[in-house]
Amino acid sequence: MRAKCLVVAFMLAAALLMVGGPAVAAKVVKVGIVSVLSGPVAVIGNGEKWAAEMAVADFEGIEGTKIELVVRDHAYNPGVANEKAKELYEKENVDVIIACPNSAAALAVAQQAKLHKKLFISTSAGTTDLIGKACNRYVFKWNYNDYMLATTVGILGAEKLGKRWYTITSDYAWGHNLLKHFTEAVESKGGKVVGNDMVALHTSDYSPYILKAMNAKPEVLALLNVGKDAVNSTKAAAEYGLKKKVTIVHALLFEPSIRGGGVATFAGDYTAAPWNWVVDNPGARDFADRYLKKTGERPHFMAAAVYSAVTQYLLAVKRAGGADTEKVIKALEGHTFKDMFANPGYVRPEDHQQVGKAYLLRVKQPDQVKGTDDYFEVVGSLPAEQAFGKPGQFGCKLNK
Amino acid sequence: MEPVFLFSQFFNGLVLGCIYVLLSLGLTVVFGTLGVVNFAHGALYMLGAYAAYTISSKLQLNFLACLVLCPLIVAAIGMILEKFLISKLYKLPHYYNLLLTFGIMFIIQDAVKIIFGPEGEPFNIPELLQGAVNLGFMYYPKYRLFILVVTAGLSLGLWLFIEKTRLGAIIRAGTDNAEMADALGTNISWTFTLIFGLGAGLSGLAGVLAAPIQNVQPAMGMDILVQTFVVVIIGGMGSIAGSILAGLVIGQILTFSIVFWPPGSTTLIYAFMALVLVTRPRGFFGRVSFFE
Repeated sequence: MRAKCLVVAFMLAAALLMVGGPAVAAKVVKVGIVSVLSGPVAVIGNGEKWAAEMAVADFEGIEGTKIELVVRDHAYNPGVANEKAKELYEKENVDVIIACPNSAAALAVAQQAKLHKKLFISTSAGTTDLIGKACNRYVFKWNYNDYMLATTVGILGAEKLGKRWYTITSDYAWGHNLLKHFTEAVESKGGKVVGNDMVALHTSDYSPYILKAMNAKPEVLALLNVGKDAVNSTKAAAEYGLKKKVTIVHALLFEPSIRGGGVATFAGDYTAAPWNWVVDNPGARDFADRYLKKTGERPHFMAAAVYSAVTQYLLAVKRAGGADTEKVIKALEGHTFKDMFANPGYVRPEDHQQVGKAYLLRVKQPDQVKGTDDYFEVVGSLPAEQAFGKPGQFGCKLNK
Repeated sequence: MEPVFLFSQFFNGLVLGCIYVLLSLGLTVVFGTLGVVNFAHGALYMLGAYAAYTISSKLQLNFLACLVLCPLIVAAIGMILEKFLISKLYKLPHYYNLLLTFGIMFIIQDAVKIIFGPEGEPFNIPELLQGAVNLGFMYYPKYRLFILVVTAGLSLGLWLFIEKTRLGAIIRAGTDNAEMADALGTNISWTFTLIFGLGAGLSGLAGVLAAPIQNVQPAMGMDILVQTFVVVIIGGMGSIAGSILAGLVIGQILTFSIVFWPPGSTTLIYAFMALVLVTRPRGFFGRVSFFE
């Protein structure tokens, strides 16, 4: 009886091995993208999806390994993002999730990453909580963050554009956070914020705020808002002739907003960015042109950051000899790289923030615009150490 | 605070009020006569702005042509909606049409998103109306004065139309007793279609006027619809004079709360609405109406 059992068990095991055998031979690295593909901000997410597709297609490959891309839409909703992250880590078995705009959504995904002990590379959320109180060893922060945006326009603006500042700020966590870092940066260069207004999201008439700002006679007006609020407030400023007397600076200004509001509305304004397709990194123009061919648009910096994050992740897998999470973390920490996005870029081991040079951009005059999305020129830059501050300054201590 | 600053803010409040007046006039006329709470009103306003964008940038017509053509286009769309959808539900309780127009709003908004994209379209102040005028005590943007003049003329015209013309008399008769007016030989069905067209046209006009000073994007109607309802409720549902007064008052409350107490700017108008409803439940000039 016992012998019979052994024979059966042996046969079963042999059958299992034969079925399982061929499947193990080709390893699979699965990259998940969670982003916003529907609704008013889908322009951001679509770009991220296209960039990820390009990064996988361009990648030289790892021998014996298949690379797969899985894309999910979170519709700019943190709850949905949480569900999609769970689905990707548990059912799709992805090795990493990349992108994820919306800070609350990214914080939810960061929790899922910790729970599942899988990687999350946040490229498009600005919150410094990802490298602060909500940081964990499975989360990397690629691309900009709010501190870097506010610091870059604050420092370079106070040096180049004027000392008397007025700020108009979107009244939610993001705006408050920007204002804090921005004020510190302006004051560090001897500037002064002479007035500020907190404005509800999606306010359609900014003219009372613009008049208030004019009344304070600033040299520079900083608009700490984004999207349609950026368009509405800039339109009101142009209408009152404020732009003739005052320079306007935006914390965050995207090509789609310029397309929507018209170049004439934004001409001469300044903003900060970690990247634009006109920066002189080798490969940046080539990437932008190929992207234009594929999509009909030039990439915004969110898309470029996803391209960089996907590529650098796959290279780390290659260095680590596989997608094992712990080995890839080791391969990314302290790594210095050069690509079209960051030249050079460095992944800080202390808080997992990827840092690089930050740029001050100016919007061109309408008659200088040549070709699709040719809106910006580079007028200044800040070294990575200054733009991203000290590692661990937001309270994250991963590798003490 | 300098008086010039306060004066310009006062004018700002007036202009903002004018947009509310134009929007709420259409809403209140439709409500007063047809008993329809038109949730698609904001979407029609947005269509007005997009019509202006299309006509001026694609057909290269000037802004004044837009000002005439776009409200007509939006009015035509409104009349089609009334004839084929909204009129079918008049015999049912009011909330059926409320739900219908709510759905129409989403369909229009998403159709615009699909055709034009979600990020909005550029629309600048027409050259003729750029710059500022010296009013003696202050400089004020020409375009904003233009909005004031158009709104004043239109409000007066609408009041004369309803109080002094034959069609206006039919509208008033239809409001009071539709069946009786029908029995006396008035074709109430077409009158109702015309009234809905009028309401839609007014909101389209508001959209054209707002296009140069606001962001032309698919959700622009949604963003302003709630405040417009506040104006209609404060003014008294169905009352033209009430909408004009309430629109201007709300414009001032919004503007001066920003000047003196910014944190209150989003809530004060609702507090004011609550106050009005407690003291005068029918609003400024509301009559006994459908919901009582």
